[in-house]
Amino acid sequence: MAWVAKGAVALACVFASTLAMGEARAEKTVLNVGMAAIDAGRLDPHLSSTTPDKALFGWMFNGLVRFKPGTMNPELLEPDLAESWTSTEDGKQWTFKLRHGVQCHHDYGELTAEDIVYSLARAGDPKRSAFSSDFKDFDKVEAVDKYTVRISLKNPVPSLLGLLIPYNGGNVVCKKAAEEMGETFAQKPIGTGPFEFGEYKPKESVTLVANAKYFRGKPKLEKIVYRYILSDASRDLAFTSGEIDMLYGRQDQNWVDRIKKEKGAVVDVFDPGELSTLYLNVTKPPLDDIRVRQAIAYAIDRDQVVQFKGKDITRAAKSIVPIGYLGMTDDVPLLPHNLEKAKALLKEAGYPDGLTIHIIHTNLPGMLSMMEIVQAQLRKAGIILDMEVVEHATYHANIRKDMSPIVHYAAARFPVADTYLTQFFHSRSIVGTPTAVTNFSHCNDADAEIDAAKVETDPAKQKALWKTAQQKLMAKVCGIPIYEQPQVWAHRDTLDFGFKLEGSLTLGPVINEVTHFTQ
Amino acid sequence: MLGYVVKRLLLAVPTLFAVLTIVFVLARVLPGDPAQTILGDQATQEALENMRHRLGVDKPIAAQYAEFLVDAVRGKWGTSLVTGKPVVDEVRNVLPYTIELTVTAIIVGALIGVPLGTWSAIYRNRWIDYLARMGSLLGLSFPAFVSAILLLLAFAIELRWFPVISAGGLDDPVERLRNLALPAINLGIIMAAYVTRVTRSSMLEVLGEDYIRTARAKGVPRRAIVWRHALRNALIPVVTVVGLYLGILIGNSVLTEIVFNRPGLGKLMVSALNQRDYTVLQGMMVVYAFVIVIVNLLTDLTYGFIDPRVKRQ
Repeated sequence: MAWVAKGAVALACVFASTLAMGEARAEKTVLNVGMAAIDAGRLDPHLSSTTPDKALFGWMFNGLVRFKPGTMNPELLEPDLAESWTSTEDGKQWTFKLRHGVQCHHDYGELTAEDIVYSLARAGDPKRSAFSSDFKDFDKVEAVDKYTVRISLKNPVPSLLGLLIPYNGGNVVCKKAAEEMGETFAQKPIGTGPFEFGEYKPKESVTLVANAKYFRGKPKLEKIVYRYILSDASRDLAFTSGEIDMLYGRQDQNWVDRIKKEKGAVVDVFDPGELSTLYLNVTKPPLDDIRVRQAIAYAIDRDQVVQFKGKDITRAAKSIVPIGYLGMTDDVPLLPHNLEKAKALLKEAGYPDGLTIHIIHTNLPGMLSMMEIVQAQLRKAGIILDMEVVEHATYHANIRKDMSPIVHYAAARFPVADTYLTQFFHSRSIVGTPTAVTNFSHCNDADAEIDAAKVETDPAKQKALWKTAQQKLMAKVCGIPIYEQPQVWAHRDTLDFGFKLEGSLTLGPVINEVTHFTQ
Repeated sequence: MLGYVVKRLLLAVPTLFAVLTIVFVLARVLPGDPAQTILGDQATQEALENMRHRLGVDKPIAAQYAEFLVDAVRGKWGTSLVTGKPVVDEVRNVLPYTIELTVTAIIVGALIGVPLGTWSAIYRNRWIDYLARMGSLLGLSFPAFVSAILLLLAFAIELRWFPVISAGGLDDPVERLRNLALPAINLGIIMAAYVTRVTRSSMLEVLGEDYIRTARAKGVPRRAIVWRHALRNALIPVVTVVGLYLGILIGNSVLTEIVFNRPGLGKLMVSALNQRDYTVLQGMMVVYAFVIVIVNLLTDLTYGFIDPRVKRQ
């Protein structure tokens, strides 16, 4: 056996020395990120809006304007590719002056007004973009000169600047590259951001490299290796072993507590909060009876859900629009937990012995655990949720076919009340219709207010309209907002973002030219 | 010999056809939508329909099937619905990782399993036998992902000999071995458990044969009896198991690949299934079915090599 022992020692030495070599370097310039996904999707910012892809886009693209890094307050936008902008009195024409000398990745030349015109046209074209409906009020986008872009609108869009941030259709792609590559653009997306596309390894990683010509200066990090690590356990272990420096966390209090105890680990909890809401189909019996909907709302105990999910990463919802969104109000009829009332309402509605509702739910653990609590709470009121748990893609397909009278949906959107109200409560968005998005409740009671708010140029009046919309929809119990969960990530304390991370609309931490390692 | 091989390969064609048809229909009967996976949940109906049209999944299933068969015969496997890359490339990219892992696991399994099973049979009902049997039972009943996490905790976190992310490139041989070690051991242990059990029972049978007694009576050294005469005769069931298991192993590697973060066929299949990437799924099924056919053929050919009597028949 002696030779075995000797061999083992020798092997150990070899491995130890290779490890030591890796760690001996001075200051780290490669950021290894662990993402909970099996692979990249189509890496085209105008097509994909999946969480793993969006985080990458955030590091590669610019918009005309942007949030201050690390924040997401729509009232405080700052210049990005545009240096300045003006709008006409009626808000129907906007003129943007571009920065000079911005370079497209991989030597695709200087970014000019032509690129902006092309990019916005692309984002507004349903054949090439998933976000075309955001741009439906755009009449004309034209290049006045090399560095001036003019956007003419059919009617005023109060949150226009919000469409021009580096997010979804606002991400600016370079014309020459997109035209040259066509369908293959998604395999090598070209933008102007601090990091450019390096390499893609299937089922393994995407590597971004520093854009040396970045207009805000060369990034301090040389590389970002974005690794797809599906298994939660291995992602955590890879962080412990030092192979990754930043990771997508779990929206789970136990996870937060455990990672916090790890040496040199910092847990990041930042906005946007994903609002979990139960959407009740008001057209289907028994939910077409408002008393049944109210009974369900009264039977749910938000505080218990928050307690179960963990206080660091959960907050009770206050309205059908997430907290912090422009136009959100908590002055709404939010029904408190009251079991007696729930039972009384059910009796009044003709269900003295309770009732059973068959619903479809995803098998995603985070969403399922909350639904199981709700299931238990409803049972106390005599409402039996007969839950059919299906795999996530099946769930998405089936809820869009109206197969579940109660839909549990968790989402974060651009932080303006309009996006949430339009996508979830406008009659245009009702599932099954040609313009469907995610209106599962079939409510259309606030169409007038939502539409009026879209063209209202007076901010105070606009907020009032959004408030009325929320009040109407809440009074009808179209949706029962339960709780909000912000984004949860963790990073090594030697990584300095360069700003305070409070929010990131791309759902991944903001990494830009100032982000660096301190050791 | 050649005629036999060709005949076997031709017989595989209807099998492949059947597998493909089943996969084709099953994948499309499942609810779920590749367009939705690509565009995410904020996409409008219009964008989704455009994407479906672009992907060609809006046509009737019969039309899609006809198109698919024509392309398949012409050797065109199309492009991945999700990534837009050719399916052939998607499979070829990860195939080396899977082959490397499976072959190593089988070697590890055989190197541990055959001697252990043999000793176990020789020392029947003695402590070494009990130990081997208990070990193999443990190996069989241990879920692959649990043993994987345990291996990671011991060798990647505590001892730090191996990396947690066993992905790495295939260029650097040292790095490649380091990346391969833990996943191969993990799969190899399960393999070894199977091999031990089969070797043991097969050896027990052979050791009771008349010719073994004759050899012993003739005074042939015990070592030669066991390792030359008995083992060779006992190996046929072992080879069968290894052959059959190779197919299962490729499937079992899914969990190992996910926990150790290795690219590979298993992971490719899971992602194709989750994302409803029909074309990749179809391409992979062809590879799988083909591998099983080839392995079965090789297994049969190995019989003749181990036992010349089989060849004569």
